[in-house]
Amino acid sequence: MKPTLSELIRPYRSISIIGMCKNAGKTTVLNQIIREVNGSGRTLALTSIGRDGEDKDLVTGTKKPGIYVARGTLVATASDLILRHCDVTREILDTTGISTPMGDVVVLRARSDGAIQLAGPSITNQLARLREEFFRFGADVVMIDGALSRKTLCSRKVTEATILCTGASYHKNIDTVIEDTAYSCRVLTLPETEDRELRSTAEGLEDFRGMVIFGEKGPWTVPGGLSLEDALRKDEARGARAVFFGGALSDFLMKPLLMSNAPLKGLTFVARDSSKILMKRENYEKIGRRGVSLQVLDTVNLVAVTVNPFSAYGFHFSKDELMERMEARVGLPVINVMEDAK
Amino acid sequence: MINLPFAQRENIGFQYVLDALKPCSPYGEERVRELKPFEPCQKPELQRQLSNIQRVLTVLEAQSMDGGKANERPRGPVCDLPEMQTETDRLRRTLEQDEGCQKALDKLLLVFMTVKNVRPTALKCLEATLNEIELFEIKRFLLKCDEMLPLFNEIQPVLQLEGISLRDTSPALDLLDPEHNRVASFYIGDGWSGQLRALRREKRELEEKLRRLPDGEEKEALQALRSRVAADEEHEEMRIRGELSAALRPYVDDMLHNMEMIADIDLTVEKACLALRYGGTMPVFTENTLEMTGMVNPQIADAVEGRGKNFTPVSITLEKGATVITGANMGGKSVALKTIALNILLIQCGFFPFASKASAPLFDSMYIISEDLENIDRGLSSFGGEMVRFNQVVRQLDGGFSFIMLDEFARGTNPDEGAAIVQAVTQYLNGQNAVTVLATHYDNVARHGCAHYQVIGLKDLNVEELQREIASRGGDVGVELISRHMNYGLYRVEGKQDCPRDALNICRLLGMDPDILAMVEKNYES
Repeated sequence: MKPTLSELIRPYRSISIIGMCKNAGKTTVLNQIIREVNGSGRTLALTSIGRDGEDKDLVTGTKKPGIYVARGTLVATASDLILRHCDVTREILDTTGISTPMGDVVVLRARSDGAIQLAGPSITNQLARLREEFFRFGADVVMIDGALSRKTLCSRKVTEATILCTGASYHKNIDTVIEDTAYSCRVLTLPETEDRELRSTAEGLEDFRGMVIFGEKGPWTVPGGLSLEDALRKDEARGARAVFFGGALSDFLMKPLLMSNAPLKGLTFVARDSSKILMKRENYEKIGRRGVSLQVLDTVNLVAVTVNPFSAYGFHFSKDELMERMEARVGLPVINVMEDAK
Repeated sequence: MINLPFAQRENIGFQYVLDALKPCSPYGEERVRELKPFEPCQKPELQRQLSNIQRVLTVLEAQSMDGGKANERPRGPVCDLPEMQTETDRLRRTLEQDEGCQKALDKLLLVFMTVKNVRPTALKCLEATLNEIELFEIKRFLLKCDEMLPLFNEIQPVLQLEGISLRDTSPALDLLDPEHNRVASFYIGDGWSGQLRALRREKRELEEKLRRLPDGEEKEALQALRSRVAADEEHEEMRIRGELSAALRPYVDDMLHNMEMIADIDLTVEKACLALRYGGTMPVFTENTLEMTGMVNPQIADAVEGRGKNFTPVSITLEKGATVITGANMGGKSVALKTIALNILLIQCGFFPFASKASAPLFDSMYIISEDLENIDRGLSSFGGEMVRFNQVVRQLDGGFSFIMLDEFARGTNPDEGAAIVQAVTQYLNGQNAVTVLATHYDNVARHGCAHYQVIGLKDLNVEELQREIASRGGDVGVELISRHMNYGLYRVEGKQDCPRDALNICRLLGMDPDILAMVEKNYES
């Protein structure tokens, strides 16, 4: 018997939901979890990365399910949204001073059931701070509504578990949907580095956007203007075992590297987190073939992939084909939101 | 009015002092941003602030002694004001017997740290209905006031801060917290009106039904009904918020008063902390004469100490008229000038000057003319820029009692003409309603001023001995040795005396080629 979504998330106190695209069924999953947590008598707390929960999708104009919370739920959202678009009876608990384009984030307790809209912090540290505040106010489970496309990722610094939502709205070709989702899963679940020297160096370099090579002579910061392929040939990089990237691993950076004959075999590339891996799938695969392994400082604990076979653009896939092929490719439990929701 | 440009305030180290202030509350931060020099006519307010600093400083001193740390400030006389001395002695005695006041002050500052700035919200309350988030913020502020009042009431009988009071705002808090829960959350309870209670009950019943219904037409109809009830609830809440805002309105004045008082106490404590750290003293106000002993400039002192050396305190007496400072190169004339200007500005801004003893008049205006501050962007040479600035100052001189500082005026032109210009300027300023201090290299300037100070420099030093030391340790240690042996203190020159000939000594010590040195010496004689 396949585990249900609620069984999969039950062990965790903080969970985030991210989507491959708009209309991937994120809000459907969220509402399902809301019902599940409420049914178990636990106190739920909700916020989002940036804005979510509009009545209509601002991009495609299709009607989206609203977020409907139960009495007792804790919510952190922007003040303008509270005053205009929430119809729960509210108890204001705190003003956080975290600002959004729609006013500061305010924490409230719903004193009735009702509709809410979410717009939360977009910085990892603020999300982590808010999570702790939720726990102080008595939350049992903290849910964060996120988005893959947004810069902040729900690494384990923020939530213990993450659900990835995908579906027909991502692309009209089912192969592309499956391959791209599988690629995203692989990137999201890259292993955390166990290189102690690298980690302690990298964690001290919060605003650093350059590269550091770790070789026999210890950490060496690649001087600005020097390409990685040239840097790897320098004496300072002798015996290099790993490279830490303060910024993104982009195609722009990888292409010349792949075209050069730089010695890459056995190297480990370490990014801060998977949101910094911005290269195309083909380049990702190529550097793998050259013997490079990819790691991150903070990884995501992906517990399930949900699929929505219906596209917001008017077509749908065979749900059985989508489920079967997806499961085979991602190696994680796959759940059909449209069915599981019933 | 004293209105020094930012670059000058930064240059004399005033900005450094401001940056060292770390107020606990947003109201205190506001005060620092809006800090302006006092006019002489505001002397009573200035004196009030200074005497409050003295009171808080006495507490801080008692604390730092409790901590077992070596207290750098001797517990001697505070200043030449007998009333203040009596008051400080009383306070010291009380603090020795009772630690309650110090602890309460610490706790009060901790509360300050958690206060948020709700002034805009309070002002909005005067003319509009507050929303629930704003009411929450007001409630949180009132809770903080409730926390502060007993602490303040413990401090005030001991400290007797002048012009400081906190008002009891608990009646306003009762409006927002009728059930006396004193919890920092805001909720319009069902008890506010029968109407609200009825609407919420109806909404609740609908929600219970909705929870049990499957999706479908019946559910949608109920959802629509629920939305209507929710809108009515919102409407009734708005009416209640209007009532609440109107009821709060009479207390806004008390809230604003308390915000001012928080700012005042916060800034007083911060100023006292700086006085403790850098050795500040309560100034005595005079009519014309400025007399400062052992002045320190924190910015320069911290930098010098960072290099493992000590700042030489500056002592000087300035009368109405022009005082001339002369001295060796590298002798710290500019440092002396900056230190004087800084401490005058500090007094005018309600700080303790960093000095062991200070008496000073209050000035209507303050001018600094210094070549390195002039704006070359305007297409003027440094000399031209200085002249334009000087003309501006002269035009404004009728506007009251001024302090003027000139750092090596006209240094950019040839020495013969420069000397003539500076002599004339000194003569002119000597007759103005101003205290002027100017540093110069030029000959024959000092006799045109009312007083003459000189940097001690290498005067008391055995040059030959030093020269031997430099020779024995190699050529490059000259700079370091000179700065170590340079005496940066000022001494008052009585009678006629010209600029010291330290330049020649410095050339010698820095290892100038002996042939050239011989020629220089020959030129001196001729």
